[in-house]
Amino acid sequence: MTAEIISIEGLTYQYALTDKPALLDINLSVDRGEYLAIVGPCGAGKTTLALSMNGIVPHMMMGEMRGRVLVDGRDTTQGPVREMARTVGMVFDNPEFQLSQSSVLSEMALGLENIGVPREDMLQRITEALEIVGLSGFEERSPMALSGGQQQRLAIGAALVMYPQVLVLDEPTSNLDPIGKEEVFSVAARLNEEHEITIVIVEHEVEVVASYADRVIIMDGGSIVSSGGPSAVFTDVDNLRRVGVRPPQVTEIASGLAKRGCTLTTIPVTLDEAEAEFSDWA
Amino acid sequence: MAHHLPIPVTFVPGNSWFHRLHPTPKLIWAVGALVLAFSTRNPLFLACFFFLGLLFVILAGVLTTYGRVLAILLPISLSLIVFQAIAPAFPQPWIPIARLGPFTIYQEGIYSGMSILLRSWAGVNFAALLVLTTHPSDLFTALQKLGVPHELNFMVSASIQLVPIVQREFLIILSAQRSRAMQATGFGAAIPSIVPVFAGTIDRVQQLSMSLASRAFGSKGHKTNIRDIKVSTKDYVSGIVGVAITIAGTWLLISYSEQLDWSEIAFLPGWLSVTMVVGAAVTFIGTMIYFWRKANV
Amino acid sequence: MKESSELSVKPIKCRNLWHVYPGGFTALKETFLEISAGEVVGIVGQNGSGKTTLVKHFNGLLKPSSGAVLINGIDTAEESVFNLSRHAGYVFQNPNHQLFATSVLSELQFGPKNLGLPEDEILARVEETTELFQLHAIIDDHPLRLSFPLRKIVAIASIHAMHPSILILDEPTTGQDHNGAAMVRKLIQQLRSEGKTVVLVSHDMALIAEVADRVVAMWAAEVIDSGTPREIFSNSTTLKKTMLQPPQATQLSQRLHGRVLPQITLTVDETIDALAQVADT
Repeated sequence: MTAEIISIEGLTYQYALTDKPALLDINLSVDRGEYLAIVGPCGAGKTTLALSMNGIVPHMMMGEMRGRVLVDGRDTTQGPVREMARTVGMVFDNPEFQLSQSSVLSEMALGLENIGVPREDMLQRITEALEIVGLSGFEERSPMALSGGQQQRLAIGAALVMYPQVLVLDEPTSNLDPIGKEEVFSVAARLNEEHEITIVIVEHEVEVVASYADRVIIMDGGSIVSSGGPSAVFTDVDNLRRVGVRPPQVTEIASGLAKRGCTLTTIPVTLDEAEAEFSDWA
Repeated sequence: MAHHLPIPVTFVPGNSWFHRLHPTPKLIWAVGALVLAFSTRNPLFLACFFFLGLLFVILAGVLTTYGRVLAILLPISLSLIVFQAIAPAFPQPWIPIARLGPFTIYQEGIYSGMSILLRSWAGVNFAALLVLTTHPSDLFTALQKLGVPHELNFMVSASIQLVPIVQREFLIILSAQRSRAMQATGFGAAIPSIVPVFAGTIDRVQQLSMSLASRAFGSKGHKTNIRDIKVSTKDYVSGIVGVAITIAGTWLLISYSEQLDWSEIAFLPGWLSVTMVVGAAVTFIGTMIYFWRKANV
Repeated sequence: MKESSELSVKPIKCRNLWHVYPGGFTALKETFLEISAGEVVGIVGQNGSGKTTLVKHFNGLLKPSSGAVLINGIDTAEESVFNLSRHAGYVFQNPNHQLFATSVLSELQFGPKNLGLPEDEILARVEETTELFQLHAIIDDHPLRLSFPLRKIVAIASIHAMHPSILILDEPTTGQDHNGAAMVRKLIQQLRSEGKTVVLVSHDMALIAEVADRVVAMWAAEVIDSGTPREIFSNSTTLKKTMLQPPQATQLSQRLHGRVLPQITLTVDETIDALAQVADT
């Protein structure tokens, strides 16, 4: 088993009827158990990149693809999207749009029914997954009556029951209130830390990303313009400004102070780091 | 959520005998009811059948939900009587009974109007019984066992889930456009209200299809089911009884169709016919005005 | 009579406002609120706290179950949304609920046309709005082909073209990227400089900290606190109850408060200034 679970080589993708590619020569590898965050302005290609990880790009889109995407050794163009379901789970940005069943139980069971898992096993997997996403006891509830955060956790649970190795989340919190956002980030962290699931998350909430991610890539105009740990990526303030990404506020503060001539030991990217940095300034 | 919407199309949880009955016999009854209802125009039979269905709805404990649908759609469908009375969908010759301004009310018209109304509602009562007492997943599992393809099944069940959602979105869009000084009626209101509904629904369905594909939707091969519907003797008996009554009943109704044709016999005196038609028209218009005003506060 | 002239000064006034939905759910209770002309007021709270119910009364979409709402002195109870939309423009959270036309230009014209304004007035307003919102490049584009951040801008612009003196913005930065959020921030400042009263319903605490003159915090159908951003973010009881977190800059200043910083800050720039001062001494 290689360390890499996702390997993207020279990926270029252009949607039909557009005049430039959404992705241009992307090379990216994601290690097993990694928590990778993808950040960038609207139109940078983040969603296209995320959707290429289980074959939705190219199979469910109209366009031209070059290069290849290997997930757990398997080329995404070799089979339809449904065959990737047991390896990669996908969560999208609108919680409600992903739900179609009349009970939480049915929604969780949907994927398992499709692959023919026996009923007793289904029940066990579902109970486990509901516990992980914090929805134990919600089996008979109607998905439409849940809060946004609960709905999104249900969507995560519905992907989890398939026992995927990777969970890709495309702007999962953009339609949620602060409590909902917290719930989703918490579950993603738990999945990564306690269950060793590889997380690929597209997000604008850089302050959260800075505390959870192992690695951050910044995208702009279809390319990856920066890649590295949160500290390395977010402290490159000028590059970020050029691309249109704001670093965490504490980083902006530290960087602003540095520009004014103050000496700092490090440029922090999280609140804790910032507190440590400035505590002895009195 | 659903109870704020005009037309509830949802399952009402409960523990009545009807709830515990297997979906297949209920399906048979619903289909059989429609077949029986459309085998005759006899108002007495249809009225009895209508009330029988209503009785079952009451016994199942789902009257409150169903009552809301009835309260809205029944007055509106009274318009059928009005229109049929003056222009019957019935073979000529027509017997005129009374004049109402420029219109002539025909005997066959009233008969025809009432029979169409009662036929539809007799059938709908049993369909409502089916939908309101059967969990959607169970219903679709039953259909699948009867040979309906899984994907078609799913499309229908997902679409039904969408109905309250599209209703809700429509109301939001109306509010949004009224906030831009759009008057809620008239031709100018059509496109601004409907385009966003379509666009939103398309967006939703696109994301849903990606989510489903990511959960192996469309896989070939054997599919399992989370819901466990047990079949018992009462289910087989109900199903067989349903089929038997439908076949026997239909045969009887058609054999005796001449005797049951009361179109000449159920002769309403002029004053009663006029009252009925005017009454139906007033109720119909009144209901429409009520809803128009509610939408335009 | 004296009372009515007092009232007509304030753009928004709520007197003991209650709203109970059909079915019995009390979404808003005992609300007293006054918003002055030219104020930018942030309404904050979790989903379900009553924020949206409250602001829907400002253009008449909802009518009080009891109590009163006065918009520019007009009692909303008897007034239609049509008439109130001249005073208070409501920009819905999801621009897709409002955009329907084949060009951005048509979207901008929609509101003024509905108000029955003369052709030349409509033209002038559209010109003005296009200029203010910098929409020249996309004026002929199909709104549904624009990126989400731009759609939000177009939605705000199309309400602005109706020249309401009050603008209600429902979550204007939700779902936006950083560029889009910066555009919205700038827009709100511009609206303020035009003398508009802006009611901002938002989860984005950084935005609120930067643009709001006043913050109204809601919880369980009630207004539980009202004050400047600094006052609200300093009140740990309010923050705990509403489960809201101030922006990161503020949180940092709170952690350094007392030891390093004399007072809490609201924005990045303010924090830089405060810390630079400390470094210089």
